[in-house]
Formats: sequence, C-alpha cells, structure tokens
Amino acid sequence: MIQYAAILLMMIGLYGLLTNRNVIKIVISLNVLEIGLNIFIISIGFVYDGIAPILTSVNNSSALLFVDPLPQALVLTAIVIGVGTTALGLAIVKSIYQKYKTLEIDEVEEI
Amino acid sequence: MMSAILLIAIPLLAAFLSILSKKIAPVLLLLVGAANIILLWFVPSGIVIIGDFEMPFGISLFLDSYARIALYLVNGLFFIVTILNVVEYKKLSSILLVALAALNGLLLTGDLFNLFVFLEVAGIAAYLISTTNKKPLATFNYLVIGTVGSILYLFGLMILYGMFGTLNMMDMIHEIQTASIAYSSLILPFFLMFMGLGIEAKLLPFNAWVKGILKHSNTLSGPMIASVYAAAISLMFGRLINNLFMFEGKLLLVVTVLLALGVVLGEAMAFSSKKAREILLFSSISQACITVLLFVNGIIIWAVYVVIANALSKLVLYLIINRATKETKSDDVNDLQGLFAKNIFVGIAFTVAALSVMGLPLFAGFVIKFNYLTQLAVAGQMAIVALILVASLVEGIYFVKLLIKLWYSGEKEINVKFDLPYKAVFAVVTLMIILFGLYSAPLDSLDNGIDTMQDEIGVIYNG
Repeated sequence: MIQYAAILLMMIGLYGLLTNRNVIKIVISLNVLEIGLNIFIISIGFVYDGIAPILTSVNNSSALLFVDPLPQALVLTAIVIGVGTTALGLAIVKSIYQKYKTLEIDEVEEI
Repeated sequence: MMSAILLIAIPLLAAFLSILSKKIAPVLLLLVGAANIILLWFVPSGIVIIGDFEMPFGISLFLDSYARIALYLVNGLFFIVTILNVVEYKKLSSILLVALAALNGLLLTGDLFNLFVFLEVAGIAAYLISTTNKKPLATFNYLVIGTVGSILYLFGLMILYGMFGTLNMMDMIHEIQTASIAYSSLILPFFLMFMGLGIEAKLLPFNAWVKGILKHSNTLSGPMIASVYAAAISLMFGRLINNLFMFEGKLLLVVTVLLALGVVLGEAMAFSSKKAREILLFSSISQACITVLLFVNGIIIWAVYVVIANALSKLVLYLIINRATKETKSDDVNDLQGLFAKNIFVGIAFTVAALSVMGLPLFAGFVIKFNYLTQLAVAGQMAIVALILVASLVEGIYFVKLLIKLWYSGEKEINVKFDLPYKAVFAVVTLMIILFGLYSAPLDSLDNGIDTMQDEIGVIYNG
C-alpha cells in the first residue's frame, strides 16, 4: 500500500516539474519526486511484523524476523545526494535571479 | 600493490587537498590527470573487492579489456582538455578532479547502486562545468533533467532489487539469467533504467538539456561534455546493454524505433541548423543513437570504436569552433565564413575530423562505418543499414556545406589565433584518424570478447 503512496508522490513531483514555470517551484517538485522515490526504496525493505535490524541483548537471534536494512542505508545516500543537488539547484536559481531579475522561465529569453 | 580503486581514490583525495590551496589546485589537477594514465598501465585486470566484503555483499570494481580501453580514452581526453583549459578555468580544478573520480568510477564499478552515486557525482560536476557557459537557465534545465534521469534509473534499479535482492551487477545478471521470472515483469525496470541513462547519453527524446548546454559551450564545457562525458557514459551504457538489459520482443522493438528516430531526427536538425555549434551537437545526438543501436545489436567492438572515433573527432571540432566563437562572438556559420583561409593547418584538422565523422574513405570513420554496416547486414538488420546510410548522406551534405563556408573567405576577414598546444592536439588526432583509416589491421585484432563480464559470471557461479 505504501508503495502506491510513494508512486503517487512521484507522480505529483513529475506533474509539478512538467507544469510549473517558476524555478523555485521546479526545485520543490524535484524534491517531492525524490522524497517519493526515497519512500519507495524504504518500502522495498519492509517486512510485515519485522523488527529493526539491530542485534541487542533482547533480540539476539538470527531466527527473528528483521526488516531489510539495506534500503535504509541506500536511502541515506540518496538523501545526501538529493540535498547536494537541491543546494546546487538553488545556487543556480540565485544566479538566474541575479542575471534576469525574475524566477519565471517564460520571462527569460536565453535558450 | 596497484589497485583499480586508486583511479577513483587519488582524484578524490586530490580534490579535497585542492580545496586547501587554490595555488596548488591546477598543479594537482594536471599531476593527477597524468598519474592516472600512467597508473592505468600498471593496474591488473580482474575484480577488486573493497573493504574485504566479498561479492555480492560489498562494493566491487571490475576491470577488463573493455573497461581498460574506456579508461584510457576518458583519462586521455580528460587530460588533453584540462591541459588546454587549466590556465583559463583554474577555479574549476577541484570540480574537475571530482569529475575525473566519478567518470572513472562509472567505468569501473560492479555495483548498480554505486553506479547511481557516480552518475550523480559526475552529473553535479558537469552542472558546475556548464556554469562556465554563463547561461544559468540552461544549466538549471540540465540539472533538473539530469536529476530526473538519475531518479528514473534508481527507480528501475530498486524494482529489480525488490525482485532479485541484490545490487551487485554480476550477481544481478546471474539472478536474472537463472531465475524463472517472466520477461514481461522485467520490461518496466529495464525501460526506466534505459530512459534514465538515455538522458545522460543524449538519446532522443530524452535529451532536452543538450541544446542549451552545447549551444553556448566554451573550450572547456564543449569538449568535456560532448567528448569526455559522452564517451564515458556511452561506454558505461554499453556495458549495461551488453550484459544486464536483455532487450527482446516488444521492448527491443520500442528501443530500436526510439534509437532509429534519434538517428534521423538528429541528422535532420543538424541539416536545418545555421549555427556551427548546433550542427555539431545535433550530429553528436545522432552518433550517440547509432552507438547505442550497435550495442543493442551486440556489435560491441565496433560500437566501442565509434565511441573512440567520435570522441576524438568531436574534441577537435568543438575545440576549433568554440575557440573561433570566443573571438568572433558568434557561432553563426555565415559569421565564421573564411575561418580557415588564414588557418590552413587548423582547417585541415577540422576537415579530417568532419570527413571521418561522415565516414569518407581514407579516414578511420570509414573503416569503422564499413565494418559495423557489414555486421548489421550480416545480422539481417537491413532497415537499420538503410537508415544509417540515408543519415550519412544527410550528414555529408551539411558537413560539406559547413566546410565550404569555413574554407572560402567572405566579405569579412576572420583572424582567430590558435595556440601551439591546440595545434599539437589537432595534429595528433588528425594523424590518428588518417593512420587508422589507411592501416586498419590493429582494429581487427580485437573483437566482441573485450567485454568479459559474462565469462567472469560463468567462472564465479559455475566454476
């Protein structure tokens, strides 16, 4: 079920990317798309009735049902990369504003 | 003990060190660029296990003849482009070092998630390199489209992970080949990954970023993105097509039609353009589609040669046009008329590179085109052969038109000065194009067996 929600979030992000003409809104849409993907990745590791994949004095048997820890590690990397891309995107947005005094793509005649 | 990991680790370490001192940054860049090429000579082939985590649990690298050729090409071109631009763009030294590490990682990694990370790191470096064009909106478009491409790739990969429970490339290929899963359930993840990588590889219709970036490119961003990045990503894409994506049935048809359209539309757009850089960029798009088409048809070695020949030719073409554009402030073909009237040597280099891309006899491009067309014909792909021949004809017309304009002087006199290092690069590339055009025996010494990933999988899993 959560995978449908993640895909819906990705679709919202994609819709935002395709319809918005404001560069800030495009960056936000890109983030929504990334968050949707991150939730999708986390959902891949979900195991029904599974517990956190940490061996403790209470949970110290490999026979216990753990959730898959790998997607959680992957999503951390994906979040870091996403933050880096967003920061760079916003820096470029700043230079667009400095050069053209607008954030609307339609008002910029460059490409 | 030399290890392939040094090809990634040394540029990354140098990138960190270069931040500490702006003065040593350009020196570090050149030193590391040269050291990587020398190091490649001593690095042994095979699988490199990192951190003692055995496959498939840890990240591994894989170096075979295919990866070695790709690394020599990318590191060599990277070194040439940095030498020519290091004085003017020394502020970008740290970024270029990160780019080198990421491109080497793309070609070496044996882990599909690690590939995504390198793709993003290489992408971020490319966005920063493209800021030198001083067209922030084009850079922004590149960033957005590139990020969407990476997201699509990762989405497809995660679906595959959900199905097979592995991220190691060899393990994934083995699982796909041995598991009894219907091919229809692989179509979605494969196509998502293909689209994602297609964006980076400039394939139509996923390449909306290319025009904005290459149309305004300079002597750094043009050759770096159209030649170095294009070569690295095409060869990485080829590796995945050869081994992971098993295109068949309807998916093969869709991919072939998309690529064929890319070839035709790329040439048509180049034909209709009046701007020199646009002509080159649309020609690059068409050539990228031809390369992937060859990989899809299993003609690996000639696809690799196409990538090499294109990377060398485009290096010369972009360097000349971007250098001239910098002086004349326009890349309109009419404004560049007579560029070679006083630059005969540069004109010869440009002409040789252009004729090689067209596939005319006496040049390396002809030998390569003749061989891959023959192999396509043997494979019964006559429609693709006809399409490439028509595309070559169109390519011939617009390149000849461009050459005539550039050779014959018009009303205005153009005086563009090319420094000695530029001329040295042009001379070497021109000689190589002519040499391999006249003496093609070395090209025949290699075959599709350069990509040994399937053999390695056989050894690991079947003994």
